[in-house]
Amino acid sequence: MDTRILVVDDEVLYQHLVKVNLEAEGYEVITASNGEEALEMVASKRPDMVILDVMMPRLDGWTTCERIRQFSSVPIIMLTAKGEEQDRVRGLNVGADDYVVKPFSATELVARVRAVLRRAKTSEQVGQNRYFAHGNLKIDFARAEVWKENKPVYLSATEYRLLIQFAQHVGQVLTAEDLLTAIWGPQYSEDKEILWVSIARLRQKLEDNPHSPQHIVTRSGLGYLMPPIEKASL
Amino acid sequence: MKAAESTLNLSLEDLYRINQIVLQAKEWKSALDQIARLIRPLFIFDNLVVYLVDPVSKHPETAYARAMGRGKHAEADVSWGETLAAQVCNTGKTSLLEPSEPANTDRLHRPYILGVPLIREDSVLGTIIFIRFGSPPFTEEQVSFSKFLANEITLLIDENRRHERLNELEAQHHIFRLQEDFMSTLSHEIRTPLGFIKGYTTTLLRSDTSWDAKTQREFLQIVDQETDRLQELIDDLLDSARLQSGRMRMNFQVVRLDAVVNDVVMRTRLHHPNLEVILNIDQPLKLIEGDPVRLAQVLQNLLNNAAKYAPGSKVWVNICNVDNGVKIDVIDHGPGIPPQYVPFIFDRFFRNPEQAPNVHGSGLGLFICKQILQAHQGEITVNTTLGIGSTFTVTLKEHIP
Repeated sequence: MDTRILVVDDEVLYQHLVKVNLEAEGYEVITASNGEEALEMVASKRPDMVILDVMMPRLDGWTTCERIRQFSSVPIIMLTAKGEEQDRVRGLNVGADDYVVKPFSATELVARVRAVLRRAKTSEQVGQNRYFAHGNLKIDFARAEVWKENKPVYLSATEYRLLIQFAQHVGQVLTAEDLLTAIWGPQYSEDKEILWVSIARLRQKLEDNPHSPQHIVTRSGLGYLMPPIEKASL
Repeated sequence: MKAAESTLNLSLEDLYRINQIVLQAKEWKSALDQIARLIRPLFIFDNLVVYLVDPVSKHPETAYARAMGRGKHAEADVSWGETLAAQVCNTGKTSLLEPSEPANTDRLHRPYILGVPLIREDSVLGTIIFIRFGSPPFTEEQVSFSKFLANEITLLIDENRRHERLNELEAQHHIFRLQEDFMSTLSHEIRTPLGFIKGYTTTLLRSDTSWDAKTQREFLQIVDQETDRLQELIDDLLDSARLQSGRMRMNFQVVRLDAVVNDVVMRTRLHHPNLEVILNIDQPLKLIEGDPVRLAQVLQNLLNNAAKYAPGSKVWVNICNVDNGVKIDVIDHGPGIPPQYVPFIFDRFFRNPEQAPNVHGSGLGLFICKQILQAHQGEITVNTTLGIGSTFTVTLKEHIP
């Protein structure tokens, strides 16, 4: 099967540049012009690699990368305009595998793509799941949408990110510090009350009976968890 | 000396009204006018003066003065409390000055002067002076009330000063932001063509791949175009720097605008074959005086902008004679400019922040146009409506032989 690479850049000339060079290597290349389109294509076309520009209108490359990582472990190379350290660190933090600094030479790009693909082949491929289900709850990671009993649930950005934390760690107890650090940042790690308020609001929106939650359960003194589904349905 | 006879007839409601004036005031002087009118029937004074300590010289300077009663016509001949003001500002203490002249002298020369310091966070901002010509003297109650008033005025002045400072800081911040945005726009504008030139050249140079002649040509054309784009950017930067510092030399001569415009329109049709330009020229057109190269640059810029920001729209260029000169309208039916950004579009480095980043621009074009027109004593203005389009209007003065 051909190796399929998704190239995401809002500049048509960059799309073209990357495409011709990768096609010359025998890769199949598909293109997207913005983050939303990229998320849809990662979910529907299941590429073997994504090359993602950082500077894009609306959904930027960092956010797109973070959102792809919520449902897919596809290798990602970021195209960044700056080579500063904080950008590299940021790229690695949101789950990118490598980055190439613009302006880049065609040979460098091709070499990076080959190297990342080689590494990805040796490591185990994890399945790419666009959807996540937990009882009557469904999440579409590509669109960042949440459904309950097939009706859309409207969550704030914070509530959504909180829910994703639980969905990515089903059966694992997450401490308040973990959740606060992951969502609000390390400076909020002691601020338990804001977490309580958010969990209470999330339960209001997601649970049939917020006083007897099935999706986000309290483990007194430890933290919170999304129980494995057999237990939740008991 | 006469005993103080009047007492203060202020009600709680009066205090409430003073407080309301203070709360709603935008500016302390007009608030003090209102308060003075309100309290004068209850607390008699003839002249009211506020001195503020100058932050540099440390001397009290008159900041506010009203003559409200006796002495209104005496103007500068009566006391305005200067000496007491200096004393109050120095000591930071309330002082009362009573006349020593005999009771039969003109009451305008027998002022009772009350000075209360305006103190904020341990520093004396200035003083408020109440002057009463002739009797009655200020009572203790009135002195207490004037201290209350002084506190209210201090709050107002302090608030006004903070507000001014905030405005200054905001203006500085705005300039700083523009420069910062410019730096990031500029680096993006330089890096993008450089990135294409680098990318497509190294693609051609790849030793492991051979490209057919058609593809090679396509890549080289991209490199060529991107080189032009960098050239334009550098020209714009130099022009704007020269115009900003007044070092651009204009080569003024008598100009037939129709010739200039025809030339620019022809070039535009060549560069933007998809752009439909409709030209209407009033004949015979008045002659104007100007630099034909720079005027062509203005028009070229407006047409390039129309091609860039109003893609798919036709563009009308209408030139007609007006009183004292010639007017050029460049009209597009593009998306228009959001009203909140219209006041800034001629500013150096300004770009509509909502513009998609793949529509390139340095934020210099319209600034250059405006500067060129100013050098011609002409004008450039815009009339724009969201969803309808934009009209840029250039007016130039007639050549008078």
